[in-house]
Amino acid sequence: MSKLKTQEFMVNMGPHHPSTHGVCRLMLTLDGEKVVKIVPVIGYLHRAIEKICENRTYAQCIPLLDRFEYVTSMSCEYVFADAVEKLAAIEVPERAQYLRVIMLELNRIASHLIFFGTTVMDIGALTPFLYGLRERELIMDLFEMTCGQRLTYNYITIGGVSHDIPPEFIPKCREAVKIIREKLKDYEGLFNENPIWLARTKNIGVLSAETAVAYGVSGPILRASGIKYDIRKNEPYGIYDRFDFNIPTYTHGDAYDRYMVRLDEIRESLKIITQALDGLPEGDIRKKVNPFTFKPPAGEIYNRIENSRGEMGVYLVSDGTTKPTRLKLRGGSYNHLQVLPHVAVGGLVADLVAIFATFDIIMPEVDR
Amino acid sequence: MILASVELIGVFRWLYGLLVELGLEEPWLSVVIYGLLSVTIFGVLCLIALFLVWWERKIAGHMQQRFGPMRNGWHGWYQTVMDALKLLQKEDIRVDTRDRAVFFWAPVICFVAAFLAYIVIPFGDGLIVADLNIGILYVIAITTFTVISLLMAGWGSNNKYALLGGMRSAAQVVSYEVPMVASILTVIVFSGSLSMVDISNSQQGNFIFNWFIFRPPFGIIAFLTYITAATAEANRTPFDIPEAEQELVAGYNIEYSGMKFAMFFLAEFVNMFTVSAIATTLFLGGWHGPLLPSWLWFIIKTLAIVLLLMIFRWTFPRLRVDQLMEFAWKFLVPLTFANLILAGWMKYAGWYW
Amino acid sequence: MKRVLNGFKNLIKGMTITSKHLGRHAVTVQYPEERDKIPERSRGIVVLLSDKETGELNCTACMLCMRSCPTAAIRIEAPRGEDKKRHLKSFVVDHTICCFCGLCEQACNFSAIKMANKYEFSTLDKNDLIWDMHKLQEMGRDVPYESKKKKAAEKDETREAGKPKTASGDGEKTEKKEDQPEVKSDNQENSPGEVK
Repeated sequence: MSKLKTQEFMVNMGPHHPSTHGVCRLMLTLDGEKVVKIVPVIGYLHRAIEKICENRTYAQCIPLLDRFEYVTSMSCEYVFADAVEKLAAIEVPERAQYLRVIMLELNRIASHLIFFGTTVMDIGALTPFLYGLRERELIMDLFEMTCGQRLTYNYITIGGVSHDIPPEFIPKCREAVKIIREKLKDYEGLFNENPIWLARTKNIGVLSAETAVAYGVSGPILRASGIKYDIRKNEPYGIYDRFDFNIPTYTHGDAYDRYMVRLDEIRESLKIITQALDGLPEGDIRKKVNPFTFKPPAGEIYNRIENSRGEMGVYLVSDGTTKPTRLKLRGGSYNHLQVLPHVAVGGLVADLVAIFATFDIIMPEVDR
Repeated sequence: MILASVELIGVFRWLYGLLVELGLEEPWLSVVIYGLLSVTIFGVLCLIALFLVWWERKIAGHMQQRFGPMRNGWHGWYQTVMDALKLLQKEDIRVDTRDRAVFFWAPVICFVAAFLAYIVIPFGDGLIVADLNIGILYVIAITTFTVISLLMAGWGSNNKYALLGGMRSAAQVVSYEVPMVASILTVIVFSGSLSMVDISNSQQGNFIFNWFIFRPPFGIIAFLTYITAATAEANRTPFDIPEAEQELVAGYNIEYSGMKFAMFFLAEFVNMFTVSAIATTLFLGGWHGPLLPSWLWFIIKTLAIVLLLMIFRWTFPRLRVDQLMEFAWKFLVPLTFANLILAGWMKYAGWYW
Repeated sequence: MKRVLNGFKNLIKGMTITSKHLGRHAVTVQYPEERDKIPERSRGIVVLLSDKETGELNCTACMLCMRSCPTAAIRIEAPRGEDKKRHLKSFVVDHTICCFCGLCEQACNFSAIKMANKYEFSTLDKNDLIWDMHKLQEMGRDVPYESKKKKAAEKDETREAGKPKTASGDGEKTEKKEDQPEVKSDNQENSPGEVK
């Protein structure tokens, strides 16, 4: 009888795999079901946003940057507009500052609701995905009512915001806040203590604080690993120092903690929105800036904000013309994809899916 | 004389008489009658499977606050018929590197095995094709055939995802066979017979309280373990790892298209109906029940269990493959065996009512 | 044992939550028969607006929308006539490359171009999405809008009435007008469409 032997085999997970959230390709080496090696292959969504922006005026950059991280477009717009404003020393009107915060936090909630939906769907529960999207719809309606688009807003412009909110915005926003706060209980009832969910996420994909820092991990994933670091608190930008909110932190750094951090963050964001709606002043929404001739002074700046997926940064070099000389974008997902092999090797394929889902990687942020 | 032992219902009894009058000789008489019976059962089951697909989509839709299919007819009632017609017309895409014979026979075996179990399932008073005296054993044997077809599909497709799916399904179904049989044995201890009709009849009377599910604690434990194992047998969430969409894309049926895929798909729903029908027969008193006609009782009970399985599917996340095995061997098997031994002991000691 | 019971309880809890939703009414709509209300500001197709009285296009061929477009979806041909003024010859919007950012609408000073809240313009041929002037005008006929010209005129009236006014808006406007020729030359060198 010839001797039986086993053999490792390679599987291409993606770029069309249902749980890679876009076009990420993971080259897996599997020993049975066990993952031995992961090589992420990126670049399928590369659209050269940074290079195209070098040929656009500052105002024209913003619609392109919407596509940088399309789940939280507001953040992309804000980080760029804020950088330009800092470079050109433009004072943004108070009302615009408040509107920006409201929109940023609404968008953060929308992003976390997507996270909730896709994560539970990747782990196998199909219904809550629709629940997450149902609540997100309320937020999308608010955005559409205000700026006319649901995904690529082009709302935060250099010097302020493009539209004032319509009169029915504030009651509808308060209503949405109330509904989402109510529905969060449903989500928690569905999963927080569900034994299957606990089995699938507890102690899965543990990311230690040291590794997280070493790989430059940021955002909710870092906070799930036990490091209390949030740019909104540690280095407040805009008017975030005026609001009272907590930074949810967990200690284990496993998939369950990463999920819980985000659910808690939705609550904190709701808190910020309520405060911002209460304190919303009257006044101008925009400092007039001519989009054709706007020229920030020559210089360079790195501006960063806390996005729903970690630190989002923009490095901008201006030579005093109407177009940026160099634009470099930084998205959290890039680092998170790098740390993925470190965390997921040794687990099963199913664990890899759970880890990938709770990392909440979005590919345009990686490929740009 | 095979037919003598078979209870024939109305129209078939009449047909039998007609054929005897026409002077048909015995071997051919059985062939004709059984052929007609099979066709009837097959047609009814196809209809049930199509209905279940539609129902599942409706349930899922309403659970997710959508409508589900709405276009074809009232609330899209013939949507699945159209889907089946579409799948029939579709091009049968075959991989070049497939194992031809295995790839071809896998869906056939799956389909046939799914339908064969219905020979012994009593749909109502006397509505049974053949009342074998080893009925439940036959069902267990036949339903296990499905796993062979899934393994064949996984191997024949020559696709790594499909292979993983096939292997997973083999491991899963074999593991869950054990607690399932153990919980069925508890019922056999109660009833003292392997025949499906006898099992049903022993739950007769006393309004509904003679059903085996109302024999705490053994009946209820056996029922719950059976439902759990049956969900795994039917490859449904939370035990749907062979076709785990988010991990293996579609698992064993990844390379199948058109009619072959439809066969797998229909077989899956027929299997779901099978496990529910067995649960009805074993635990919920079969066709017995007050007031309503027997076949209606049977259908109502079975659909109630199907609904339960659907709520499982659309609520729970999926277990991981090793957790699934752990659950089967470390929890379900000891539980069901303890349950079986205690139930047997109680029965032997005569402590049962 | 306690763990098992607790787990069982939580499974039931999850099932009750999903089962409760079974009886609720759907939040979606059946699209072609019912439609969601689209907000007024929603940015759909690009249309050209016409004067409500005369029915002529508001466009003065100032080219601002063309220059503001980040994807170069707008192409305007307007040669200068004998009177040194631009006359609109063709105005083409390529909806296949339009990114619906709304910058053209913001740039326009004459309320001549707008992103209407219409969204159904799917076709079988890609070329049908490249709309010329007449089609854009036709689509824009029933789009309600507030004339910026009229607004400016009202503003002038109030100013003449002697109401105190902040200087910023006025200054911006004049500045813009002065800057225009310079930008034009800058833009012709490398217009947004030609990425090198």
